[in-house]
Amino acid sequence: MNKKFVLVALVVVVIASFVVYNYVSSTNELKGTITVSGAWALYPMMVKWAEEYQKIYPNVEIEVSAGGAGKGMTDALNRAVDIGMVSRGIYPEEIANGAFWVAVVKDAVVPTINKDNPVLEDVMAKGVSRSTFIGIYIYGNITTWGQVVGRPEITDAINVFTRSDSCGAAETWANYLGKKQEDLRGTGVYGDPGLVEAVRNDRSGIGYNNIGYAYETETRQQVDGIRVVPIDVNENGQIDTEEDFYNAKDKIVEAIGNGLYPSPPARNLHLVTKDKFTGLAKEFVKWILTDGQEYVEEAGYVSLPEDAINEQLEKLNG
Amino acid sequence: MNTRRLKNLVANKLMLLTTVLSSLIVLIIAVTLFQRSTLILTTHSLSELLLSSSWHPWKGEFGFHPFIMGTLWVTALAMVLAIPPSLLMSIYLAEYAPTRVRGIIKPMIDLLAGIPSVVYGLWGVLLVVPLIRDYVAPLAGATTTGYTVLAGGVVLAIMVYPIIISISEEVIRAVPQQVREASMALGATKWQTVKHVVTRSAFPGIIAAVMLGFGRAFGETMAVLMVVGNVPLTPSSLFDPAYPLPALIANNYGEMMSIPLYDSALMLAALFLLLIVLVFSVVASILLVGIKRRLAVG
Repeated sequence: MNKKFVLVALVVVVIASFVVYNYVSSTNELKGTITVSGAWALYPMMVKWAEEYQKIYPNVEIEVSAGGAGKGMTDALNRAVDIGMVSRGIYPEEIANGAFWVAVVKDAVVPTINKDNPVLEDVMAKGVSRSTFIGIYIYGNITTWGQVVGRPEITDAINVFTRSDSCGAAETWANYLGKKQEDLRGTGVYGDPGLVEAVRNDRSGIGYNNIGYAYETETRQQVDGIRVVPIDVNENGQIDTEEDFYNAKDKIVEAIGNGLYPSPPARNLHLVTKDKFTGLAKEFVKWILTDGQEYVEEAGYVSLPEDAINEQLEKLNG
Repeated sequence: MNTRRLKNLVANKLMLLTTVLSSLIVLIIAVTLFQRSTLILTTHSLSELLLSSSWHPWKGEFGFHPFIMGTLWVTALAMVLAIPPSLLMSIYLAEYAPTRVRGIIKPMIDLLAGIPSVVYGLWGVLLVVPLIRDYVAPLAGATTTGYTVLAGGVVLAIMVYPIIISISEEVIRAVPQQVREASMALGATKWQTVKHVVTRSAFPGIIAAVMLGFGRAFGETMAVLMVVGNVPLTPSSLFDPAYPLPALIANNYGEMMSIPLYDSALMLAALFLLLIVLVFSVVASILLVGIKRRLAVG
């Protein structure tokens, strides 16, 4: 008796799930697999997008792997993946090979120092200008913290740290200073977390990080032990109220969005393919540029301004 | 009768085949790397690549000298730091240590050999680097960030010594007991026996252990790369940063493989590394043959 009931219930469930399955697959006609690889900087964002997209279209499978911008670019150009993620500008050699790209989101690189920096208060009040960063990172003629804040009596040497691995963050920082990553001075440390660790352990240290690593995701405050250096954009020797947005992640994200934080070191993150996005991949990229933008902020990135989005959509369709 | 012979023949040829195939792999790797680096070899002269210190790929300057020197500095330092203590330790474990002590220490050393290199690297960043910055360098009157040849050498030495100890301890224990007894019977002390008899007959094996250690030291990437500073300048002291070849490849490959000339330069770096290790092991094998012959005569 009981057994029979269980059997009937089972049959009903199986039939019902078939019906539901067919219904779902007939309403959401998108089907297939999208492969994505590339930059670490874009990886967490892409994972979030993939998750949400697969919720809407259960028959679409998105495989995301990370391995560096160059890998994403190479895979995309060889058609080994449908979408490559690139966290830097596109090089002429790559354009010559048929690289096609759209910008989908922004983030930024910020300079960081130790919380016990010998001239912390001066740095926070006066900020550091681009020309000073150039002196520290490119020419190496600014070597003490006293020189940075105009107090020659302070002779603590600046310990300059940079990324050892080729990466979008270093390329963007070098770009801000008018050069290439290979021109940046300093001790090379591997990876974003490595750079945070180096600056946290060295009171005379200076480095730079993606905002995702300079601010805590949960508390949205600066990571313990380091301070983000305010940039003196108008070079008037002090941090004005409109230049003062470094305390919390939400404020700097807003400043990146409205352009108060200079670009570079703010940067666009790109999706690339060979020649043109087609089929399912194109639908996915289109969704990223439209509905997908609502997940950008919670993942800790910055949305593109609306006209930039429209421009990218036109490029995608054009 | 016939099947027995057939089995023997098949076993023989099968083993020959696998041996030949696996030795071919070295050749295949070398050929592949050479092929992939032809682009840079045709656009730059070998002397420029080997001797120039200017590493500016975007300006078309590929000088590997700092990287080759970085590799040699870090490896040499690691071996200088690793060889003496590991030999003393393996002699102690093989000859002096009571069974209980040996039973505790040996597994711990084997465990050290199994720790992933990235863990050593992290440990180096958290402990060795600050130690050098705050204590060792000031003692020597140098100021540094701590990311130095010395940090790389120390971390590498710690990674290499379990290998050397493990193997040389086995080799020393393999020396026949009668040899020791003969020496003792002549009135030699334990130390005299160890010094003149045991290590002498274990010598070729100990050299082989050191060689294996060198092999690891040359190629170790992750742990070294995390502590060594990665500045493409030829180091001139222990407190300078260095940039070994494996670090160059690991740091740039993923990002730069879409730029043909850069990709080719990294392949050449791999080829250089392979050649350095190859030359080194060939020279060492020749030395080893010589030593064995001398021991046999003596």
